[in-house]
Amino acid sequence: MTGRDDLEPGNRQIGAAPALGVEIPLTSSRPATARRLAAVYTPAVVAFAAVILLWEGTTRLLDVETFLLPKPSEIITSFVDTWSTVWEFGFRTLWEAFGGFVIGVVAAVATSFAAVRWVRFREGMLPIAIAMNSMPIVALAPIFNNWFGSTNVLAKMSVAAVVVYFPVMINTTRGLLEVDPGELELMRSVAAGPTETMRRVRIPHALPFFFASLKVASALSLIAAIIAEYFGGPQNVLGQYIINRANLFQFPDAWAAILVASLLGIAFYVLILVMERLAMPWHVSFRETE
Amino acid sequence: MKPTGWRRALIMVAALALVLTACGDDGGSGGTVEGGECETIDDVRLQLQWFAQSQFAGYYVAKDLGFYEDQCLNVEILEGGVDIVPQQVLATGGAEFGLAWVPKALVSREGGADIVNIAQVFERSGTLEVSWADSGIETPEDWAGKKVGNWGFGNEFELTAAINRFGVENVELVGQDFTMNDLLNDEIDAAEAMIYNEYAQVLEAVNPETGELYQPEDLAVIDFNEVGTAMLQDAVWVNADWINEEGNEDIAVRFLTASFQGWIHCLDNFDECVSVVLDNGSTLGQSHQEWQLNEILALIFPASNGIGVMNGDLWDQSVDVATAEIQELQGVEISDDVYRTDLAEEAIDNLSDLDTDGDGYERRDIELQEGGN
Repeated sequence: MTGRDDLEPGNRQIGAAPALGVEIPLTSSRPATARRLAAVYTPAVVAFAAVILLWEGTTRLLDVETFLLPKPSEIITSFVDTWSTVWEFGFRTLWEAFGGFVIGVVAAVATSFAAVRWVRFREGMLPIAIAMNSMPIVALAPIFNNWFGSTNVLAKMSVAAVVVYFPVMINTTRGLLEVDPGELELMRSVAAGPTETMRRVRIPHALPFFFASLKVASALSLIAAIIAEYFGGPQNVLGQYIINRANLFQFPDAWAAILVASLLGIAFYVLILVMERLAMPWHVSFRETE
Repeated sequence: MKPTGWRRALIMVAALALVLTACGDDGGSGGTVEGGECETIDDVRLQLQWFAQSQFAGYYVAKDLGFYEDQCLNVEILEGGVDIVPQQVLATGGAEFGLAWVPKALVSREGGADIVNIAQVFERSGTLEVSWADSGIETPEDWAGKKVGNWGFGNEFELTAAINRFGVENVELVGQDFTMNDLLNDEIDAAEAMIYNEYAQVLEAVNPETGELYQPEDLAVIDFNEVGTAMLQDAVWVNADWINEEGNEDIAVRFLTASFQGWIHCLDNFDECVSVVLDNGSTLGQSHQEWQLNEILALIFPASNGIGVMNGDLWDQSVDVATAEIQELQGVEISDDVYRTDLAEEAIDNLSDLDTDGDGYERRDIELQEGGN
């Protein structure tokens, strides 16, 4: 009914375990052999390789113009040729995204706690949060450029922060609030105050929701940073590089930069995964499927 | 009560007449123009580089005053914008004619856009790098360690060429938006500006210290023509495949004839031309469009070989700077086939009794109003 399978009969002790301070490791401790790793990752690698080959083959066969769709070989060539430039620009953009991500997450978590603690705050906050979520990035970027100055990194970070705020706030609030009433009763029955309840019940319950929202937010923050860069500011960043290359018909270069953006996005996502794993080793999603 | 008998017939005839005249004014291919002897009218599209403004007065005049019609052309003028790249529009068949700067077009050609220059309308470059007079920035070397703004998209080549040529170090290149706000807010030390547009936008802004408009003396200007890295700008380009199709060279000559006629008309009918531009929905107002037309005509006229006919020496100079200083063009052989003069020369011949050189053109004094109104 609650959709949490760690509360199903037979698993009940696992859900309750964090609240009582007992941690039961759920992952089996089989060693990760090379063969098992291969079995897990092979389908993905094969699919990826197939897509690349299909892309290269089709563009060669149909003699597609480079400015419509470059061949993967052209993109890789450009990627290698412009290696230092695209990575330098990429890390600068990543910094803007990460800074905005941190600001947005901190604001989201803070308001989330307040929303749980005070009902009035929650009711007042929600419309504002929804309004912020509806603001298009392309409208925010020139405004923040004006407020902070286009050469100030805060202008780009703010755009990322606004974009990150809503998903994290909404999901964290939900995670903190939608706790099984049974557990809340349990807390009340042992005379635990709101802080204890928060620490032992709400926060562990919210962690999966929180990390899920962080995964979404990581990609959003990078996208927001790149788009915000389109509107002006230092030109040694990914967004400016992409549009300038594209407008001069240098599409392999633009795609190489997009490739860097994707790789950085993946790295950011993996970082979140690692943090999640460290914070919630007990969680259902880390159990290995047989 | 429904109309009966002859009343109904009258209404039907009136409706039919309305529909027929509407169709007639449509001027679609196969239609005939009023009072003309055109067998067919050709539909073509012209892609501008920017929003409607005096920079394109000649084309708007040619359309509104019927010069294109006289050439049996129905020209749709497509306004440009921030993300509209005329070379791309041409390469993908979105227009028959497009306006673009030579270096941008050369780089696009390297990227696969097969386009040809059929008329070099502007003979001089209008690009400036503008700073405040008290900034001490007077030559390219003074950009060292400064924030130097530019618009990207290929508009920056004259600037980056100057930076390379003079070995200026530690320049922080900053992407500007298309206003002068970044300079007015001291966000950057130098801003890219066209003498006919953004430069005037500064002079149309109020200086908070004096309460009056900014004056030319408040600004220090670096002119790329003087620096030596200026390159040719507005030219009419066509898709190479299109121009090689049967009948399209003729269309091109007719298009150029009417377009040149439009520009020449502005030499003696300045105010009328400004009105035409304003009527076509320019963003900035009267005084700004007057300033702009004044400066634009100075970039076109005097025209060494007649308006639109490429001066080979100027082409060579632009190509020299481009291949030396633009990264994408280094080591590239640029053949003279990239431009042609035959079509423009034919157009000039069609206008032999008009002032195609504009030798006598002199700029007038324009008084700017706040906000360009």
